[in-house]
Order: sequence, then C-alpha cells, then structure tokens
Amino acid sequence: MSVVVIGLSHRTSPVELRERFAFAEAKIPDALKSLRESGVASEAVIVSTCNRVEIFAATPVEPAKAFAELKQFLVSHHAYEDPINDELYTFAEPQSLHHLFKVACGLDSMVLGETEILGQLKSAYDLALQHGHTGARLNKAFQRAFHAAKHVRTHTNIQRGSVSVASVAVELAEKIFSSLGDREVLVIGAGDTSEKTARALLSRGAKSIIVANRSLDRAQALAGELGGRAVSFDDWAGEFEKVDIVISSTAAPHHILDRAKLESLMKARRQRPLLLIDIAVPRDIDPEVNFLENVYLYNVDDLQGIADDYLKLRQEEIAHCEAIIAEKVKPLLESNSFQPQMNTDGQRLTTLPADA
Amino acid sequence: MTWFTDRHFFLLAVAFYGASTVYSVFLWRKGFRRDDWVNYFLIVAGVALHTVAMFKRGLTLHSCPVNNLYEATTFLLWALGLACLVYSLLPRFKFLCAFTAPVLFTVGVFALMPSLDVHPLPGAKPDFSNWLRSLHAATILQSYGAFGLAAVAAGMFLMQQHDLKFHKLRAVLSLLPSIQRLELITLRLTLAGFLLFTVGLVTGEMLPRPEGKPYFSDPKVIWSALLWLVYLELIVARMFFGRSTRRFTIGVIVVFIFLLLTFWGTNLLSGLHHP
Repeated sequence: MSVVVIGLSHRTSPVELRERFAFAEAKIPDALKSLRESGVASEAVIVSTCNRVEIFAATPVEPAKAFAELKQFLVSHHAYEDPINDELYTFAEPQSLHHLFKVACGLDSMVLGETEILGQLKSAYDLALQHGHTGARLNKAFQRAFHAAKHVRTHTNIQRGSVSVASVAVELAEKIFSSLGDREVLVIGAGDTSEKTARALLSRGAKSIIVANRSLDRAQALAGELGGRAVSFDDWAGEFEKVDIVISSTAAPHHILDRAKLESLMKARRQRPLLLIDIAVPRDIDPEVNFLENVYLYNVDDLQGIADDYLKLRQEEIAHCEAIIAEKVKPLLESNSFQPQMNTDGQRLTTLPADA
Repeated sequence: MTWFTDRHFFLLAVAFYGASTVYSVFLWRKGFRRDDWVNYFLIVAGVALHTVAMFKRGLTLHSCPVNNLYEATTFLLWALGLACLVYSLLPRFKFLCAFTAPVLFTVGVFALMPSLDVHPLPGAKPDFSNWLRSLHAATILQSYGAFGLAAVAAGMFLMQQHDLKFHKLRAVLSLLPSIQRLELITLRLTLAGFLLFTVGLVTGEMLPRPEGKPYFSDPKVIWSALLWLVYLELIVARMFFGRSTRRFTIGVIVVFIFLLLTFWGTNLLSGLHHP
C-alpha cells in the first residue's frame, strides 16, 4: 500500500481546464465511494479548489497502474473527451507525501505561503474522514501535514507580509493610524480593486465606508454591499473633513485631486493624517500632494512594489520550509505504516516510478 | 571589595548600555524586523547596576546623590533608563530601548569624565536635609528623563514617517508602532516632563536663598525659565494651534539636544548650583 497523488493545478493547467475537472463538494462523497469500489484506492481524499483538483489515494496496486486508473476515473467521472497529458501530474511515495506537505504549507499555492489552502485541505480531509474513506495511511499523512504546516507558519517567514495590493494598503493604514476602529474610508470610483481594498479595510475594523461614483446607482449598490453610504461624485471633496483613508480609482483622464486643492482640505481637517491610495491608471491624484504634511500617497505601482518585495522575502524562505518538510516527512516514511510491504520472497510489493 | 566603588558600578552599567547600542545597530540594519527581548534585558542589567551605583553613592553621602555634575548626570540617565523600561512594556514599544541605548551610552561615557565628579569643598556641599531641596532636584532630573524619552519617541516617529513618505519597505516590515501612537507617546512624555519640570521650578523658587547669591539673574534660573517657556510653546502650539506633528517632534528633539549640551555649562556658571 502506498500513497499516490494525481491532479492538476494552476501550475499545469488553465482555469478553463481546472473548472472541467472540479468536484462539487456535495458530490465528493459519492466520487470517493466509487473510487474505492473500483479497487484502485483503499483510502482516498479529493481536494477541489479554484486552483487545484487532486486525488490523494492509498493504493494497493503499483503506482504506474494506479495512475492510469485514477486518470481514467477523472476523465470518465467528468465526461471529459479531449486529450489530456501534461496537464495532469502524478506523484508516488515519497514525492506524494512531500507534495501533500508542500500544499498544506502553501508552497504550491498561486500566492506563495497563503493559508487558505490549509483550511481547504482540512475540509477535504474531514469530508473523507466523516464518510469513512480514510484509513491509517491517509489519516497519518494528513495529520502530519497539518502539523508541519503549523510548524512552518511559526518558524519561518513564509506567511509574513502582504502580497496583494489590498492587503498592503491595509498594512500601511495600520502603520499610520493607531487603530482602524474609528477610521472612515472614502472610495472614489467603484472599481474592482478599490472594492477589494475597502473590504480588506472593513475586515480589519474600519468604522465606515463612503462611496462616490459617477454613476450614483453603482455607488449606492457598492455602499449597500459594504454597509456604507453613497454620495454624489460632485460631493466627494465635502467628505474629506471626516475621512482618514481615500481609495481612488476613477477613469478620469486627469488628476481629480491636486496639491492646491488638498492643501485647503487639509486645513479643514486640522492636519490629521491622511492615507491616499491611488489605484487609477492614469493616476487620479497629483504625486505632488505627497509633499504635504501628514499626507501619505501610494499609487498602484508603490503598492505592487511592496507586495513584490514581500513575495521576494517569502521566496527566500522556500529552502528553509522545504528543509522543515523533509525533516517532517522522514519519520513519517520510517513509521511502520509507511514501510514498503514485502512479499514472502522479500520483494517489494510497491515500486517507485523513476520520474516520480 | 571596598575598591569596587559606585563609579565602577556605573562603568559596568555604561558597558551594558554600550552593548545595547551595538545590538541596536544590528536591529536597525535588519530594519527593526526582529522583536526580541535582548535589548530590553541589556538595559535592565544596565539600569540595575546604575541603581546600585547611585544607591552606594547616596549611602556614602547620606543624601540624594545630586551634588555635582557626575551625580546629576547619572540621576538624569537613570530616570531616562527607568522610563524607557516602563514604556517598552507597551505593545510594539520594545524598540524604544534600541533608540534610548545610544543616548544612555554616549551621555554615560561623558559622565564618566573624572573632572565632572568633583567633591564639593567643605562647607560648600549642597544641603539636602531640606525635603524641598531633594524634591526640587529629583523632579527636575526626572523631567529631563521624560524629555529625553520624548525625544527618543520623536526620533522613532520621524524615522517611521520618513519611511512611509518615501515608500520604504521598512515602513511595513518593521515592528515599530504606528506613527499616531508614537506621536501620542511623544506628546504625553513631553507633558509629563513639563509637569515635573514645573514642580521642580516651583519648589526651587521656594527654597531658602543663600545670602549674596542673586536669584533671578542666576544663569541656571534664566536657562530653566527659558527651557520652561520653550517647552510650553511646543505644547501649546501642538495642542491648541495645530502645529504639525513633524515640527513638534523636531522641536522636542532639538530642545532636548540643547538641554544636554547646555546643562553642564549653566550648572558651572550658576552660583546657586555650583557654589
């Protein structure tokens, strides 16, 4: 019996293909049942997220044969008729276990080091466990993987810092204001990134949101979603006295806020700190305003630059994380349930493919 | 161990402040990303030895050890070190030690100059048997400690503000507090220092005056009054006239540097403090 993995992820396939192979959560127990009934897997867990579809299986058959049968299962289960080759990857032990640990630690994620995958992996495992599709091998492997992920999170910087524009903006706000709890946010232009940034600020405790948009209907819709209030686009300057954070993303071809205009607005604000996040291209806010006292202006390149620097820091941690994973996988492979099974002639029952 | 005097203890304390300064440079080079207790405990060790040094000197004199420039300076540094240890316990304020250590070390080295530790001539020793006199000396020196720590917090504010303005990665990577908290701490420390300084000046004015020594034309009295007015202006302008935080923090630093540079000179010129 050995643990094998077959799947496709953001690394090997486009979203159009991933969505064809995705499993609806409600249908996973049945899929696991039919997989086990086919005889290819004694234990199985199906992980299906927006970035990956993977089957972890403890199989009594040789890995090469198991991969062929698992591929056939995937293709027939989703009634997929087009050719599929390199998009699917396969791992046998010990790489399958290394892969599981890497996924749990976020090392195989699109956003390196993200933690959401750990929750998704736990849900997938719990689902299989509840329906009795896991056994000694997968239970041990998954529990050790979760433990390793926790260890990596506490002992490395792989999850340190923000790697998205929205989360960098939140982090900057926390470096300026002592608390976000009493901060008001003004969103000028109801775009996608500004909405994400506003949501991120709200999730960290921002007091309220004011939305100004050329289309008042759109402003009202977004304000309704975020639990804020909408104002007419012509009135946004009137809100400056109250707000502390401004997210601007209009389609205006010129600056909507320049130094002279902000200078007078800052007087009305009694020089309280103001964080300006300009995510519009072309820019909405004149860069000269950054020279004003207590004004902190960041455009999309500044935010992306910080996010990229964070990502570099995370990438520098990969070797450290992999060393921890190797250290954690080793005792698992050495444990009784993972020792290769031999027949009466002392021959190994499971073999490792050369390319695995 | 009788050869091991209070000055030796103070020397050891300065050595710990020096070690903390070296470690602070390391933390600074690493962008204040590591938030550990090493610096804090180096300062704890320094302040403990410093306390022993002051205690031994006090026992020898049977009074508060503020009779000469060495003693006054060590008292000031002790107040600064102690305040730093207390404030460092606030969340994200451990780095206060990293900014305070260079001040403790450089002023400590200066205080060790033998010429500052001159024993007063017989009969010329300040009389601290009067509780008012001890209160005067203690509050004034504690106020200098508070002003010093305010200057340290102001330095942290300016560094963090510069990093945020110029989009330095260190602004988000460092474990320093937000600039609003730093500003608040700077203002509160300045207010505390000002209050202590006012109490010290009032008690000083109530002290019996030595015969033949002018009071209002004494250089130290004029200097203290000037310092009081400057701090008052800083506080009033910030709290009631909306002076920018940057200008306020720069003012706090400049005035404290002025205090450090002129404290010894005015003491030497003062007939009341240096009979």
